[in-house]
Amino acid sequence: MSALTPLYDLLTVVYEPLFMRRAAVALFLLSLAVSGAGVLAVSRRMAFFPDTVGHSALAGLALGVLTGLDPQVAVVFFGLGLGLFIVFLSRKAQFSNDVSLALVFSGAVALGIALISRDPRATAGLSRWLMGDVLTVSDSEIVALGVLDVISLVLFLTHYNRLILAAVFPAGLAAKGLGDYLFGAYLAVVSVLAVQAVGVLLATALLVTPAATGRLLAASGRSFFWLALVFSVLAAQLGLFISFQPGINASAGATIVLTGLAFLGLASFSRLFKGRI
Amino acid sequence: MALAVEFREVEVTLGEFSVLKSVTAKVPLGRQTIVIGPNGGGKSTLIHCLLGHLPYKGQITFTPPNPKLGYVPQRPDFDRSLPLTAQEFLALSLTQRPIWLGLTPKVKRKIKDVLELVKATPLAAKPLGGLSGGETQRVLLAAALLNDPAILILDEPATGVDVYGERLLCELLDDFKNAFTVIMVSHDLATARAHGDWVICLNRRVVAEGVPETIFQPDILSATFGLHQGLIFGPPPTAQKEP
Repeated sequence: MSALTPLYDLLTVVYEPLFMRRAAVALFLLSLAVSGAGVLAVSRRMAFFPDTVGHSALAGLALGVLTGLDPQVAVVFFGLGLGLFIVFLSRKAQFSNDVSLALVFSGAVALGIALISRDPRATAGLSRWLMGDVLTVSDSEIVALGVLDVISLVLFLTHYNRLILAAVFPAGLAAKGLGDYLFGAYLAVVSVLAVQAVGVLLATALLVTPAATGRLLAASGRSFFWLALVFSVLAAQLGLFISFQPGINASAGATIVLTGLAFLGLASFSRLFKGRI
Repeated sequence: MALAVEFREVEVTLGEFSVLKSVTAKVPLGRQTIVIGPNGGGKSTLIHCLLGHLPYKGQITFTPPNPKLGYVPQRPDFDRSLPLTAQEFLALSLTQRPIWLGLTPKVKRKIKDVLELVKATPLAAKPLGGLSGGETQRVLLAAALLNDPAILILDEPATGVDVYGERLLCELLDDFKNAFTVIMVSHDLATARAHGDWVICLNRRVVAEGVPETIFQPDILSATFGLHQGLIFGPPPTAQKEP
């Protein structure tokens, strides 16, 4: 019996299968972290950061297989290194964020393909990284997501203002430096874990869609943060619930993203008639 | 003359191009110094050296050392659709408590005081992206004043500002007289003449520096900007003492 069992028992009123209850808990914890990370990524025009870091899983997996490292650990560390490298490129080479992301994206994918072409064993587990499967999440991954939430809370309590200030005036008032690298490292870890949960193709949407919805409706920085959080939790839980309904039986990750996009559509529509919150 | 800043042989080179050549100039303590010169003359570069944003050769000495600097950037380019009110923007650099937790009464009071100082109290709850050029400049000025700077640095504050905003800026500069050291970059000679206690003419190198009455002379302006500028200005009205 794991420490999470009482929580799973509580969720029996909604879902019978244990894998669904695990997925609900995992998605709730992931939503908390990705919503804040998404707000910062969208504010800093780094919406494609998760996509870039996510695609580095290809090279990370291959390096893990070739060096004998645990592929999951290799992917996290490779993603982390890549995240820091993107920040370094933006700061030192004075490329804008989109150029840095495009360069690193193509480099990471090319390296992954080159390594895989040398050793086909490296493709093992690749489909899970690309497509993701939140229904197969394990207790240890749920604990890792809990740890990520604690790290996120500490970062948002201590550095949130500085990171938003750097987003408003990148070359002006903001004290940059270490804060940028810290943010790059944090966003890379969140991205890798999001990729693990819903796959690289859907991680970007999970990170960016709630933030984009919140941004559309918010009248202040405060409401922007909370709206992104609410839409992130709602999209994840409602998406999971819908995907499980008889007659729908669709991929959980894809349904979650479609639910998030539906909220975005509704928000756009409601803005035509009402103001911001 | 007590000095707040002294530039000695400051040089900045970007590739083969020399942006600042052996710049030696002084900034009087507690006075308003205006740096004038043509576009591309290195005015903003000099400010970025002063702020430590750019590497340079030579020496920049502050008296007393390590003063608090307040900086108002030139017409900042930022994402205007980002949801952020003016008072939240000011809170970002004032407090570590994240804005998503809301602003404390103490922070709100301090922001209200500084907005009052720059005649921008009604802007507190307005979205930052919805402010006009002049309103944005006043909020940025408030941000620069929040941490009680010893030296206030303004980079072309009148750029993109309407007539009303320009008049307000002039009033504010008058209010700041003798309050602290101001360094303002401007290519607006009228502003420089009206508000400057000390003027530095910069065209990659220092052409001249001194009190406005000695600077606004046809030969100096011609050497700084080109011949036609010198023809606009007649001889100075009366000579005054150095600050």
